[in-house]
Amino acid sequence: MPPVVAVQVWIWMTNVQNGVLNYTLTTLHVGNYDGHNWFGSPFSSLGMAVTLIVWGALPFVVITMYAALSQVPHELVEAAQIDGAPAWRVFKDVTMPVIAPILYLLTCLSILWDFGVFTQVYLLIGQPAIVPANYVMGVYLWEQAEVLDLYGRGAAISILMLAIVAALSIFYVRRMVRTAEVA
Amino acid sequence: MSHRFGRKLGWNVLGLVIFGVMVFPVYWMISTSFKTNDQINSSLTPQWFPVHPSLRNFENVIHKQYFWTDVKNTVIVVLVAITIAVLFAFLAAVALEKYRFTGRKAFLVLLIGIQMLPGIGLIIPLYVVLAHVPVLHLNLVNHLSGLIVVYVSAVLPFSVWTLRGFLMGIPKELEEAAMVDGSSRLGAFFRILLPLVAPGLVAVSVFAFIVSWNEYVFARLLLNDGSTQTITVWLGNYIGGEKAVDWGGLMAASTLIALPVVGFFLLVQRKIAFGLTAGAVRG
Repeated sequence: MPPVVAVQVWIWMTNVQNGVLNYTLTTLHVGNYDGHNWFGSPFSSLGMAVTLIVWGALPFVVITMYAALSQVPHELVEAAQIDGAPAWRVFKDVTMPVIAPILYLLTCLSILWDFGVFTQVYLLIGQPAIVPANYVMGVYLWEQAEVLDLYGRGAAISILMLAIVAALSIFYVRRMVRTAEVA
Repeated sequence: MSHRFGRKLGWNVLGLVIFGVMVFPVYWMISTSFKTNDQINSSLTPQWFPVHPSLRNFENVIHKQYFWTDVKNTVIVVLVAITIAVLFAFLAAVALEKYRFTGRKAFLVLLIGIQMLPGIGLIIPLYVVLAHVPVLHLNLVNHLSGLIVVYVSAVLPFSVWTLRGFLMGIPKELEEAAMVDGSSRLGAFFRILLPLVAPGLVAVSVFAFIVSWNEYVFARLLLNDGSTQTITVWLGNYIGGEKAVDWGGLMAASTLIALPVVGFFLLVQRKIAFGLTAGAVRG
Protein backbone atom coordinates (compact mmCIF):
# COMPACT_ATOMS: atom_id res chain seq x y z
CA MET A 1 0.00 0.00 0.00
CA PRO A 2 1.42 3.42 -0.88
CA PRO A 3 2.63 5.27 2.23
CA VAL A 4 0.55 8.32 1.35
CA VAL A 5 -2.61 6.20 1.24
CA ALA A 6 -1.79 4.55 4.55
CA VAL A 7 -1.29 7.98 6.06
CA GLN A 8 -4.77 9.10 4.99
CA VAL A 9 -6.32 5.99 6.50
CA TRP A 10 -4.47 6.63 9.75
CA ILE A 11 -5.60 10.25 9.82
CA TRP A 12 -9.17 9.11 9.39
CA MET A 13 -9.00 6.34 11.99
CA THR A 14 -7.43 8.60 14.61
CA ASN A 15 -9.71 11.56 13.91
CA VAL A 16 -10.70 13.43 17.05
CA GLN A 17 -14.47 13.53 16.53
CA ASN A 18 -15.46 10.27 14.90
CA GLY A 19 -12.27 8.30 14.43
CA VAL A 20 -12.81 4.60 14.92
CA LEU A 21 -9.81 4.27 17.25
CA ASN A 22 -11.20 6.57 19.94
CA TYR A 23 -14.57 4.85 19.76
CA THR A 24 -13.09 1.36 20.06
CA LEU A 25 -10.83 2.22 22.97
CA THR A 26 -13.71 3.85 24.85
CA THR A 27 -16.11 0.99 24.17
CA LEU A 28 -13.58 -1.62 25.28
CA HIS A 29 -13.18 0.34 28.54
CA VAL A 30 -9.49 0.94 28.01
CA GLY A 31 -10.21 4.43 29.18
CA ASN A 32 -12.19 7.45 28.15
CA TYR A 33 -10.82 8.40 24.78
CA ASP A 34 -13.87 10.31 23.67
CA GLY A 35 -12.53 13.33 21.81
CA HIS A 36 -8.94 12.37 22.57
CA ASN A 37 -6.48 14.15 20.28
CA TRP A 38 -3.66 11.80 19.34
CA PHE A 39 -1.63 14.61 17.89
CA GLY A 40 -1.81 16.81 20.96
CA SER A 41 1.62 15.97 22.29
CA PRO A 42 4.89 15.22 20.47
CA PHE A 43 5.15 11.86 22.20
CA SER A 44 1.77 10.54 21.15
CA SER A 45 1.96 11.96 17.64
CA LEU A 46 5.31 10.28 17.08
CA GLY A 47 3.84 7.16 18.65
CA MET A 48 1.09 7.19 16.07
CA ALA A 49 3.67 7.59 13.31
CA VAL A 50 5.48 4.56 14.74
CA THR A 51 2.35 2.39 14.59
CA LEU A 52 1.86 3.43 10.98
CA ILE A 53 5.45 2.67 9.99
CA VAL A 54 5.47 -0.68 11.80
CA TRP A 55 2.17 -1.60 10.18
CA GLY A 56 3.62 -0.82 6.77
CA ALA A 57 6.90 -2.64 7.36
CA LEU A 58 5.52 -5.82 8.95
CA PRO A 59 4.41 -7.72 5.83
CA PHE A 60 7.88 -7.68 4.30
CA VAL A 61 9.54 -8.66 7.56
CA VAL A 62 7.05 -11.45 8.23
CA ILE A 63 7.36 -12.95 4.76
CA THR A 64 11.14 -12.84 4.87
CA MET A 65 11.14 -14.42 8.32
CA TYR A 66 8.76 -17.09 7.11
CA ALA A 67 11.08 -17.85 4.22
CA ALA A 68 13.98 -18.05 6.66
CA LEU A 69 12.10 -20.38 9.02
CA SER A 70 11.11 -22.65 6.15
CA GLN A 71 14.80 -23.27 5.56
CA VAL A 72 15.36 -24.75 9.00
CA PRO A 73 15.90 -28.48 8.36
CA HIS A 74 13.12 -30.60 9.88
CA GLU A 75 15.49 -33.50 10.57
CA LEU A 76 17.59 -31.37 12.89
CA VAL A 77 14.56 -30.16 14.84
CA GLU A 78 13.25 -33.70 15.14
CA ALA A 79 16.63 -35.07 16.15
CA ALA A 80 16.93 -32.46 18.87
CA GLN A 81 13.42 -33.25 20.11
CA ILE A 82 14.13 -36.98 20.21
CA ASP A 83 17.26 -36.26 22.22
CA GLY A 84 14.96 -34.61 24.74
CA ALA A 85 15.79 -30.97 24.18
CA PRO A 86 13.21 -28.58 25.60
CA ALA A 87 11.48 -26.24 23.17
CA TRP A 88 13.57 -23.20 23.96
CA ARG A 89 16.83 -25.17 23.49
CA VAL A 90 15.62 -26.39 20.10
CA PHE A 91 14.93 -22.79 19.19
CA LYS A 92 18.23 -21.47 20.51
CA ASP A 93 20.58 -24.14 19.17
CA VAL A 94 18.85 -25.36 16.01
CA THR A 95 16.56 -22.66 14.68
CA MET A 96 18.50 -19.57 15.64
CA PRO A 97 21.81 -20.42 13.92
CA VAL A 98 19.95 -20.99 10.65
CA ILE A 99 17.87 -17.83 10.73
CA ALA A 100 20.50 -15.61 12.38
CA PRO A 101 22.03 -14.23 9.16
CA ILE A 102 18.61 -13.27 7.85
CA LEU A 103 17.58 -11.79 11.16
CA TYR A 104 20.75 -9.75 11.04
CA LEU A 105 20.11 -8.56 7.49
CA LEU A 106 16.52 -7.67 8.30
CA THR A 107 17.58 -5.63 11.29
CA CYS A 108 20.19 -3.75 9.28
CA LEU A 109 17.81 -3.10 6.42
CA SER A 110 14.99 -1.94 8.67
CA ILE A 111 17.24 0.48 10.51
CA LEU A 112 18.61 1.85 7.27
CA TRP A 113 15.21 2.18 5.60
CA ASP A 114 13.45 3.73 8.52
CA PHE A 115 16.25 6.09 9.41
CA GLY A 116 15.37 8.32 6.50
CA VAL A 117 11.65 8.19 7.17
CA PHE A 118 9.86 11.32 6.09
CA THR A 119 6.55 10.88 4.30
CA GLN A 120 4.69 9.12 7.09
CA VAL A 121 5.76 11.46 9.86
CA TYR A 122 5.39 14.63 7.82
CA LEU A 123 1.95 13.92 6.41
CA LEU A 124 0.46 12.14 9.39
CA ILE A 125 1.25 14.80 11.94
CA GLY A 126 0.25 17.39 9.40
CA GLN A 127 1.16 20.99 8.79
CA PRO A 128 0.12 23.00 11.84
CA ALA A 129 1.17 20.29 14.29
CA ILE A 130 4.68 19.79 12.87
CA VAL A 131 6.86 21.46 15.51
CA PRO A 132 10.53 21.05 16.41
CA ALA A 133 9.57 18.80 19.33
CA ASN A 134 8.33 16.10 16.96
CA TYR A 135 10.88 16.47 14.15
CA VAL A 136 12.68 13.42 12.88
CA MET A 137 15.89 13.90 10.90
CA GLY A 138 14.06 13.81 7.59
CA VAL A 139 11.46 16.37 8.62
CA TYR A 140 14.12 18.64 10.11
CA LEU A 141 15.99 18.54 6.83
CA TRP A 142 12.85 19.28 4.84
CA GLU A 143 11.82 22.18 7.03
CA GLN A 144 15.23 23.82 6.89
CA ALA A 145 15.87 23.29 3.20
CA GLU A 146 12.44 23.47 1.58
CA VAL A 147 10.45 25.72 3.85
CA LEU A 148 13.12 28.09 5.11
CA ASP A 149 15.31 27.89 2.00
CA LEU A 150 18.41 27.26 4.12
CA TYR A 151 20.04 24.98 1.58
CA GLY A 152 23.45 25.11 3.23
CA ARG A 153 22.11 24.00 6.56
CA GLY A 154 19.99 21.36 4.85
CA ALA A 155 23.05 19.97 3.12
CA ALA A 156 24.85 19.86 6.47
CA ILE A 157 21.97 17.82 7.94
CA SER A 158 22.17 15.45 4.96
CA ILE A 159 25.87 14.91 5.54
CA LEU A 160 25.25 14.15 9.20
CA MET A 161 22.52 11.66 8.28
CA LEU A 162 24.76 10.01 5.73
CA ALA A 163 27.57 9.70 8.27
CA ILE A 164 25.28 7.93 10.74
CA VAL A 165 23.84 5.67 8.07
CA ALA A 166 27.25 4.90 6.62
CA ALA A 167 28.51 3.69 9.99
CA LEU A 168 25.55 1.33 10.18
CA SER A 169 25.60 0.15 6.62
CA ILE A 170 29.27 -0.79 6.45
CA PHE A 171 28.41 -4.09 8.16
CA TYR A 172 25.56 -4.73 5.80
CA VAL A 173 27.54 -3.94 2.66
CA ARG A 174 30.49 -6.07 3.76
CA ARG A 175 28.18 -8.98 4.38
CA MET A 176 26.39 -8.61 1.04
CA VAL A 177 29.70 -8.40 -0.84
CA ARG A 178 30.99 -11.50 0.87
CA THR A 179 27.79 -13.34 -0.03
CA ALA A 180 28.06 -12.22 -3.62
CA GLU A 181 31.64 -13.43 -3.92
CA VAL A 182 30.86 -16.88 -2.63
CA ALA A 183 28.00 -17.27 -5.07
CA MET B 1 -5.20 -33.45 26.11
CA SER B 2 -7.70 -30.70 26.82
CA HIS B 3 -4.87 -28.54 28.20
CA ARG B 4 -3.06 -28.87 24.92
CA PHE B 5 -6.22 -28.14 22.99
CA GLY B 6 -6.79 -25.01 25.04
CA ARG B 7 -3.29 -23.78 24.35
CA LYS B 8 -3.66 -24.35 20.65
CA LEU B 9 -6.98 -22.52 20.66
CA GLY B 10 -5.34 -19.63 22.51
CA TRP B 11 -2.59 -19.32 19.91
CA ASN B 12 -5.11 -19.44 17.09
CA VAL B 13 -7.25 -16.75 18.68
CA LEU B 14 -4.16 -14.59 19.17
CA GLY B 15 -3.24 -15.11 15.53
CA LEU B 16 -6.72 -14.13 14.41
CA VAL B 17 -6.68 -10.99 16.54
CA ILE B 18 -3.32 -9.91 15.11
CA PHE B 19 -4.56 -10.66 11.62
CA GLY B 20 -7.66 -8.57 12.32
CA VAL B 21 -5.63 -5.62 13.54
CA MET B 22 -3.38 -5.83 10.49
CA VAL B 23 -6.24 -6.01 8.02
CA PHE B 24 -8.60 -3.59 9.70
CA PRO B 25 -7.13 -0.34 8.27
CA VAL B 26 -7.58 -1.68 4.74
CA TYR B 27 -11.12 -2.81 5.51
CA TRP B 28 -11.94 0.53 7.09
CA MET B 29 -10.63 2.42 4.09
CA ILE B 30 -12.74 0.39 1.66
CA SER B 31 -15.88 0.35 3.77
CA THR B 32 -15.72 4.10 4.47
CA SER B 33 -15.40 4.79 0.78
CA PHE B 34 -18.82 3.20 0.20
CA LYS B 35 -20.65 5.15 2.91
CA THR B 36 -22.54 8.37 2.51
CA ASN B 37 -21.43 11.45 4.39
CA ASP B 38 -24.39 11.20 6.78
CA GLN B 39 -23.42 7.69 7.74
CA ILE B 40 -19.83 8.77 8.34
CA ASN B 41 -20.40 11.97 10.27
CA SER B 42 -23.75 12.10 12.04
CA SER B 43 -23.75 8.97 14.18
CA LEU B 44 -21.55 8.74 17.25
CA THR B 45 -21.09 5.00 16.89
CA PRO B 46 -19.23 4.09 13.73
CA GLN B 47 -21.09 2.00 11.24
CA TRP B 48 -19.05 -1.20 10.98
CA PHE B 49 -20.56 -2.21 7.68
CA PRO B 50 -21.84 0.08 4.93
CA VAL B 51 -25.59 -0.62 5.02
CA HIS B 52 -26.57 1.09 1.81
CA PRO B 53 -23.34 1.09 -0.16
CA SER B 54 -23.16 3.92 -2.64
CA LEU B 55 -20.67 4.89 -5.31
CA ARG B 56 -21.18 8.60 -4.74
CA ASN B 57 -17.72 9.10 -3.23
CA PHE B 58 -15.98 7.52 -6.19
CA GLU B 59 -18.05 9.63 -8.52
CA ASN B 60 -17.06 12.80 -6.66
CA VAL B 61 -13.42 11.85 -6.60
CA ILE B 62 -12.96 11.20 -10.28
CA HIS B 63 -14.59 14.53 -11.06
CA LYS B 64 -12.38 16.43 -8.65
CA GLN B 65 -9.96 18.92 -10.11
CA TYR B 66 -6.72 17.50 -11.49
CA PHE B 67 -7.57 13.88 -10.65
CA TRP B 68 -7.31 12.58 -14.20
CA THR B 69 -4.45 14.92 -15.12
CA ASP B 70 -2.45 13.65 -12.20
CA VAL B 71 -3.27 10.01 -12.88
CA LYS B 72 -2.09 10.58 -16.42
CA ASN B 73 1.13 12.24 -15.18
CA THR B 74 1.81 9.34 -12.85
CA VAL B 75 1.23 6.75 -15.56
CA ILE B 76 3.57 8.56 -17.95
CA VAL B 77 6.31 8.92 -15.35
CA VAL B 78 5.99 5.33 -14.18
CA LEU B 79 5.94 3.76 -17.64
CA VAL B 80 8.87 5.75 -19.01
CA ALA B 81 10.89 5.21 -15.84
CA ILE B 82 10.27 1.45 -15.92
CA THR B 83 11.25 1.15 -19.57
CA ILE B 84 14.50 3.04 -19.18
CA ALA B 85 15.39 1.45 -15.85
CA VAL B 86 14.82 -2.12 -16.99
CA LEU B 87 16.78 -1.59 -20.20
CA PHE B 88 19.76 -0.05 -18.42
CA ALA B 89 19.65 -2.51 -15.56
CA PHE B 90 19.59 -5.50 -17.89
CA LEU B 91 22.54 -4.30 -19.94
CA ALA B 92 24.50 -3.42 -16.82
CA ALA B 93 23.75 -6.80 -15.27
CA VAL B 94 24.86 -8.64 -18.41
CA ALA B 95 28.09 -6.66 -18.47
CA LEU B 96 28.72 -7.39 -14.78
CA GLU B 97 28.07 -11.08 -15.20
CA LYS B 98 29.77 -11.84 -18.53
CA TYR B 99 32.80 -9.60 -18.61
CA ARG B 100 35.60 -9.12 -16.13
CA PHE B 101 36.59 -5.47 -16.30
CA THR B 102 38.65 -3.29 -13.99
CA GLY B 103 36.61 -1.69 -11.27
CA ARG B 104 33.98 -4.41 -11.47
CA LYS B 105 34.24 -5.22 -7.80
CA ALA B 106 34.22 -1.57 -6.79
CA PHE B 107 31.11 -1.12 -8.94
CA LEU B 108 29.37 -3.99 -7.15
CA VAL B 109 30.20 -2.58 -3.74
CA LEU B 110 28.98 0.82 -4.84
CA LEU B 111 25.77 -0.74 -6.10
CA ILE B 112 24.85 -2.04 -2.66
CA GLY B 113 26.29 0.89 -0.79
CA ILE B 114 24.29 3.40 -2.75
CA GLN B 115 21.02 1.72 -1.83
CA MET B 116 21.67 2.46 1.80
CA LEU B 117 21.49 6.23 1.42
CA PRO B 118 18.23 7.60 2.72
CA GLY B 119 16.39 9.26 -0.14
CA ILE B 120 15.53 12.28 1.92
CA GLY B 121 19.24 13.08 2.25
CA LEU B 122 19.43 13.55 -1.51
CA ILE B 123 16.73 16.16 -1.93
CA ILE B 124 19.11 19.10 -1.93
CA PRO B 125 21.75 17.85 -4.37
CA LEU B 126 19.06 16.53 -6.71
CA TYR B 127 17.12 19.76 -6.63
CA VAL B 128 20.23 21.81 -7.30
CA VAL B 129 21.32 19.58 -10.16
CA LEU B 130 17.90 19.37 -11.77
CA ALA B 131 17.32 23.11 -11.55
CA HIS B 132 20.44 23.77 -13.64
CA VAL B 133 21.38 20.61 -15.46
CA PRO B 134 25.08 20.97 -16.24
CA VAL B 135 26.19 21.00 -19.89
CA LEU B 136 22.63 20.86 -21.24
CA HIS B 137 21.55 24.03 -19.42
CA LEU B 138 18.07 22.78 -18.71
CA ASN B 139 15.71 23.40 -15.87
CA LEU B 140 13.90 20.16 -15.12
CA VAL B 141 12.13 21.32 -11.99
CA ASN B 142 8.38 21.19 -12.58
CA HIS B 143 8.88 18.88 -15.57
CA LEU B 144 7.89 15.24 -15.53
CA SER B 145 11.24 14.39 -17.15
CA GLY B 146 13.09 15.52 -14.03
CA LEU B 147 11.07 13.12 -11.93
CA ILE B 148 11.67 10.33 -14.43
CA VAL B 149 15.43 10.81 -14.08
CA VAL B 150 15.10 10.60 -10.30
CA TYR B 151 13.01 7.43 -10.38
CA VAL B 152 15.28 5.70 -12.86
CA SER B 153 18.29 6.38 -10.69
CA ALA B 154 16.39 5.33 -7.58
CA VAL B 155 15.45 1.87 -8.85
CA LEU B 156 18.58 1.10 -10.88
CA PRO B 157 20.86 -0.26 -8.11
CA PHE B 158 18.33 -2.78 -6.86
CA SER B 159 17.33 -3.73 -10.41
CA VAL B 160 20.90 -4.37 -11.53
CA TRP B 161 21.53 -6.43 -8.41
CA THR B 162 18.41 -8.54 -8.84
CA LEU B 163 18.93 -9.12 -12.55
CA ARG B 164 22.50 -10.13 -11.90
CA GLY B 165 21.17 -12.75 -9.51
CA PHE B 166 18.88 -14.08 -12.23
CA LEU B 167 21.70 -14.12 -14.78
CA MET B 168 23.95 -16.05 -12.41
CA GLY B 169 21.41 -18.85 -12.40
CA ILE B 170 21.73 -19.38 -16.16
CA PRO B 171 24.49 -21.87 -17.03
CA LYS B 172 27.19 -20.48 -19.29
CA GLU B 173 27.13 -23.71 -21.31
CA LEU B 174 23.75 -22.85 -22.82
CA GLU B 175 25.10 -19.74 -24.44
CA GLU B 176 28.30 -21.45 -25.49
CA ALA B 177 26.38 -24.30 -27.05
CA ALA B 178 24.39 -21.84 -29.13
CA MET B 179 27.58 -20.15 -30.25
CA VAL B 180 29.21 -23.48 -31.14
CA ASP B 181 26.16 -24.26 -33.24
CA GLY B 182 26.86 -21.15 -35.26
CA SER B 183 24.91 -18.46 -33.51
CA SER B 184 26.52 -15.07 -33.11
CA ARG B 185 27.10 -13.53 -29.70
CA LEU B 186 24.12 -11.26 -30.30
CA GLY B 187 21.99 -14.16 -31.50
CA ALA B 188 22.81 -16.12 -28.36
CA PHE B 189 21.95 -13.07 -26.33
CA PHE B 190 18.51 -12.70 -27.86
CA ARG B 191 17.59 -16.36 -28.23
CA ILE B 192 19.05 -17.82 -25.05
CA LEU B 193 19.64 -15.14 -22.46
CA LEU B 194 16.62 -12.94 -22.99
CA PRO B 195 13.92 -15.64 -22.75
CA LEU B 196 15.60 -17.23 -19.73
CA VAL B 197 15.86 -14.00 -17.81
CA ALA B 198 12.31 -12.87 -18.64
CA PRO B 199 10.92 -13.65 -15.16
CA GLY B 200 13.65 -11.47 -13.73
CA LEU B 201 12.70 -8.64 -16.05
CA VAL B 202 9.08 -8.94 -14.95
CA ALA B 203 10.05 -8.89 -11.27
CA VAL B 204 12.24 -5.83 -11.74
CA SER B 205 9.55 -4.01 -13.72
CA VAL B 206 7.00 -4.62 -11.01
CA PHE B 207 9.45 -3.44 -8.38
CA ALA B 208 10.11 -0.25 -10.37
CA PHE B 209 6.38 0.21 -10.80
CA ILE B 210 5.66 -0.03 -7.09
CA VAL B 211 8.50 2.27 -6.08
CA SER B 212 7.68 5.00 -8.55
CA TRP B 213 3.91 4.79 -8.10
CA ASN B 214 4.27 5.12 -4.32
CA GLU B 215 6.94 7.80 -4.27
CA TYR B 216 6.00 11.03 -2.57
CA VAL B 217 8.99 13.10 -1.41
CA PHE B 218 10.63 13.79 -4.76
CA ALA B 219 7.36 14.29 -6.54
CA ARG B 220 6.40 16.82 -3.90
CA LEU B 221 9.80 18.50 -4.13
CA LEU B 222 10.09 18.72 -7.89
CA LEU B 223 6.53 19.22 -9.07
CA ASN B 224 4.58 21.94 -7.36
CA ASP B 225 1.89 22.76 -9.84
CA GLY B 226 -1.55 21.14 -9.71
CA SER B 227 -1.48 20.12 -13.35
CA THR B 228 2.01 18.58 -13.33
CA GLN B 229 2.00 16.75 -10.03
CA THR B 230 1.63 13.02 -9.50
CA ILE B 231 -1.26 11.25 -7.85
CA THR B 232 0.42 10.73 -4.48
CA VAL B 233 1.03 14.48 -4.14
CA TRP B 234 -2.57 15.06 -5.16
CA LEU B 235 -3.73 12.76 -2.37
CA GLY B 236 -1.33 14.32 0.11
CA ASN B 237 -2.93 17.70 -0.52
CA TYR B 238 -6.48 16.34 -0.38
CA ILE B 239 -7.34 17.50 3.13
CA GLY B 240 -5.68 20.86 2.52
CA GLY B 241 -6.63 22.59 5.77
CA GLU B 242 -10.41 22.39 5.28
CA LYS B 243 -12.47 22.27 8.43
CA ALA B 244 -14.98 19.63 7.43
CA VAL B 245 -13.03 16.87 5.74
CA ASP B 246 -14.78 14.80 3.11
CA TRP B 247 -13.75 11.48 4.63
CA GLY B 248 -15.73 9.35 2.21
CA GLY B 249 -14.09 11.03 -0.75
CA LEU B 250 -10.66 10.80 0.83
CA MET B 251 -11.06 7.08 1.43
CA ALA B 252 -12.48 6.50 -2.06
CA ALA B 253 -9.46 8.27 -3.56
CA SER B 254 -7.14 6.26 -1.33
CA THR B 255 -8.77 3.02 -2.43
CA LEU B 256 -8.42 3.91 -6.10
CA ILE B 257 -4.75 4.85 -5.72
CA ALA B 258 -3.87 1.78 -3.67
CA LEU B 259 -5.59 -0.65 -6.02
CA PRO B 260 -2.92 -1.08 -8.74
CA VAL B 261 -0.09 -1.34 -6.22
CA VAL B 262 -1.75 -3.93 -4.04
CA GLY B 263 -2.45 -6.02 -7.12
CA PHE B 264 1.12 -5.95 -8.34
CA PHE B 265 2.53 -6.40 -4.87
CA LEU B 266 0.60 -9.62 -4.35
CA LEU B 267 2.03 -10.84 -7.65
CA VAL B 268 5.70 -10.53 -6.78
CA GLN B 269 6.07 -10.19 -3.04
CA ARG B 270 6.99 -13.80 -2.46
CA LYS B 271 9.50 -13.84 -5.27
CA ILE B 272 11.39 -10.83 -3.98
CA ALA B 273 11.43 -12.05 -0.40
CA PHE B 274 12.62 -15.52 -1.39
CA GLY B 275 15.28 -14.08 -3.64
CA LEU B 276 16.61 -12.03 -0.78
CA THR B 277 16.87 -14.94 1.62
CA ALA B 278 18.29 -17.28 -1.00
CA GLY B 279 21.22 -14.89 -1.32
CA ALA B 280 21.56 -14.44 2.39
CA VAL B 281 21.59 -18.08 3.38
CA ARG B 282 24.42 -18.93 1.05
CA GLY B 283 26.72 -16.57 2.94
